[in-house]
Amino acid sequence: MTRTVRRFVPASLLLALGIIWISVDVGGQSGQPSTKTGEWPHYSADLKGTRYSPLDQINATNFSKLEVAWRFKTDNLGPFPEYKLEGTPLMVKGVLYTTGGTRRSVIALDARTGELIWAHSLREGKRAAVSPRQLSGRGLAYWTDGKGNERILYVTTGYRLVALNAKTGAPIPTFGSNGIVDLKVGVVKGLNQQIDLETGEIGIHSTPTVARDYVIVGAAMREGATVETHNNTKGLIRAFDVRTGKKIWQFDTIPRPGEFGSESWENESWAVNGNVGVWNQITVDEELGLVYLPVETPSSDYYGGHRPGNNLFAESLVCVDLKTGQRKWHFQLVHHPLWNYDMPAAPILADITVDGRAIKAVAMPTKQAWLYVFDRVTGQPVWPIEERPVPQSDVPGEKTSPTQPHPTKPPAYARNFFNLPDDLIDFTPELRAQAVEAIKRYKWAPTPFNPPILGNVNGLLGALVPGTATNWPGGAYDPETHIAYAPAGNLPGSRTIVEPPKGFSDIRYVSGVGGRPFTPVFGPGDCCAADSGRKTRDDLPQAPAAPAPAPAAGAQPAAPAAPAGEGGGLNVQGLPIVKPPYGILAAVNLDRGELAWQAPHGDTPDNIRNHPLLKGKNIPKTGQAGTQGVGMVVTKTLVIMGDAQVTAPPGRPRGAMLRAYDKATGQEVGAVWMPAPQSGSPMTYMVDGKQYIVVAISGGVYSGEYLAFKLPE
Amino acid sequence: MIKSAMTLFLVTSAMVLSAQQPQSVWDGTFTEAQAKRGDQLYAQYCAHCHAADLTGGEMAPPLTGGQFKYNWNGLTLGDLFERMRISMPQDNPGGLSRQQNADVLAFMLARSDFPTGGTELASQTEVLKEIKFEADRP
Repeated sequence: MTRTVRRFVPASLLLALGIIWISVDVGGQSGQPSTKTGEWPHYSADLKGTRYSPLDQINATNFSKLEVAWRFKTDNLGPFPEYKLEGTPLMVKGVLYTTGGTRRSVIALDARTGELIWAHSLREGKRAAVSPRQLSGRGLAYWTDGKGNERILYVTTGYRLVALNAKTGAPIPTFGSNGIVDLKVGVVKGLNQQIDLETGEIGIHSTPTVARDYVIVGAAMREGATVETHNNTKGLIRAFDVRTGKKIWQFDTIPRPGEFGSESWENESWAVNGNVGVWNQITVDEELGLVYLPVETPSSDYYGGHRPGNNLFAESLVCVDLKTGQRKWHFQLVHHPLWNYDMPAAPILADITVDGRAIKAVAMPTKQAWLYVFDRVTGQPVWPIEERPVPQSDVPGEKTSPTQPHPTKPPAYARNFFNLPDDLIDFTPELRAQAVEAIKRYKWAPTPFNPPILGNVNGLLGALVPGTATNWPGGAYDPETHIAYAPAGNLPGSRTIVEPPKGFSDIRYVSGVGGRPFTPVFGPGDCCAADSGRKTRDDLPQAPAAPAPAPAAGAQPAAPAAPAGEGGGLNVQGLPIVKPPYGILAAVNLDRGELAWQAPHGDTPDNIRNHPLLKGKNIPKTGQAGTQGVGMVVTKTLVIMGDAQVTAPPGRPRGAMLRAYDKATGQEVGAVWMPAPQSGSPMTYMVDGKQYIVVAISGGVYSGEYLAFKLPE
Repeated sequence: MIKSAMTLFLVTSAMVLSAQQPQSVWDGTFTEAQAKRGDQLYAQYCAHCHAADLTGGEMAPPLTGGQFKYNWNGLTLGDLFERMRISMPQDNPGGLSRQQNADVLAFMLARSDFPTGGTELASQTEVLKEIKFEADRP
């Protein structure tokens, strides 16, 4: 089952790597790699989720001169190419480690040339094919004892934790069973029943978190918009001994009877509900010995009638002890979740100074565009977070929380509700008028907590909510200036639920619009990887063929399709229904709790720049939809982030730009062309006195590729 | 001899001429019947994610309209065909035959109001790479 390919490595390369080792060991702390020595030892640069490196060889004066140093195409890491490469590599001692391809192979590359040193993959068959979170994932984790033992740890698509020798790619025989821990063992649903080890629903895209000698792994289930049961796999976070693979602790995100928070699942609904995973990166304060868990949504995303109560620890930031997994504190950002405001990013650990007082803080970027900031020792909000009344649901069986937490500072860093009619498109009076008409088909409320409605083609189509501000790439933080950065989508979304076709689900309402053919929502990880679907389509949830209900006699003819024209969004004449910017990069001063700056991110999309109704109009740079899906790296002087879309404006070939912003002002100070959009967050490192930036690109016609830039010789 | 040489010259010139004028999606590159076959395949294999009206879904891009057209503007039908053939349908990548992919592509072109013609879209990538995808009518 295990396959490791080790290529011949010339003695000169080993010698060179040895030299780099020596230089790193001098600079690092007790043999541990660090961004201070030009390395990038964790997915988010460090355990604090900062994505910060102090390197500055590449800066505002030369960024636009960057050249491709090397590229690594991931097509053959699996039976067919991948178009959604999302990894951020690690770089330790001159070697780059990352995942890639439809089988989620692990590769080690020479950081100077991109030459393959070794590759590893597991062939897991059906277990991987039916996994809810497939494809190459976000990367992996590195561990060393500082004495020459080095390991790479990653989670396979089939949810196995694997430990590899970092030098050879060979599984560590003394870890788990021949290098593998079966993570499905001990995972339960319902009344604590073990899930099936092959077909049981669980997986993960994010990387394990290695802190001291612990390796911490989260859990993710299927996208929850149209799932077949609310009684699916229950979330859990576990820490294992990085040397042996032995489980050290487990934190159950759905408390069992008698445990703290169990009363928040009324009518013993804990027993018949699942999800509440942690699908994103977990951060750790090693000095405090504390772990920060961004916990996600319960089943299902938009209807909570089967789970009355606040549903702890869903959509909560939970702090647990690194040694024991015992809860230290928690803060629920959304009570009784109904919007899929699952926590989409690594919590950022930031040491800040507020009104002269030093605070060890944790800042949480979110889909709802609030950056929630807490004292990370006590869990107390740094600025008041107030419980305020919110609109109540009229969906049968739903019991909305009467209040929701509202941060008072910092202000939302992107739109988190829609200011009507001011926010509507106003390129021309005609477009504004059409937008005003179109928006009447939606339920509006001046809050992100506008509850989902039973949308219908003959009535209201949905409840308006913020689309998604920040998603899985998360934010970044500059420990020198105390500024946090977040990419943000800035478009509206709508929430509508509908009775599913008979036999599809035990959930009373799932995502959909009444009067339209029912369409299950598959996530990008529900399928599409190596071995997937090859005769396994039947293993995925299927919608029974259900023709659209005919209008009742005498009923009004069905309304035209939603004004949402494209991409499931809200559009008028193919244009977003709101004013630009459509996607932004935002900076938040964490000492003051204020926005530092916001910049539209990405060139105006071609379909907008060339729109026939906008000919002759002076359209400002709009930024791009999809910006919630790109991440960044922060250096001594720059914030570096690529475009989410391909464009072909006059003066350059079709492609996407990797952009550099002055981190203090938000001014774009450089850009370099890429043949495809950024699909994984960039990282940076220094080897042999040269700074490199590596970024994963893919999408559209372009299959996955790691692209490395450096300055000309 | 001279006549046949002249004929050869004319034929060769015609071939060169046709090679110098690459087709675009505005030249009627598929038939109505092919698009109809593609309609059925689309409903069966693609509509789950990309929506019955091709406007896309939460996780899948639209396959009609300005965003779709400009996403592929300047590339070739071969590029789009290869992307479909290799990675779609998402739950069974590579599960459709070349002919089926060509039919679905014809349906997508029809729904974006590109004109029909007298011959079907080929199912060879190399042939489709000779047809340019242009968002706007030249």
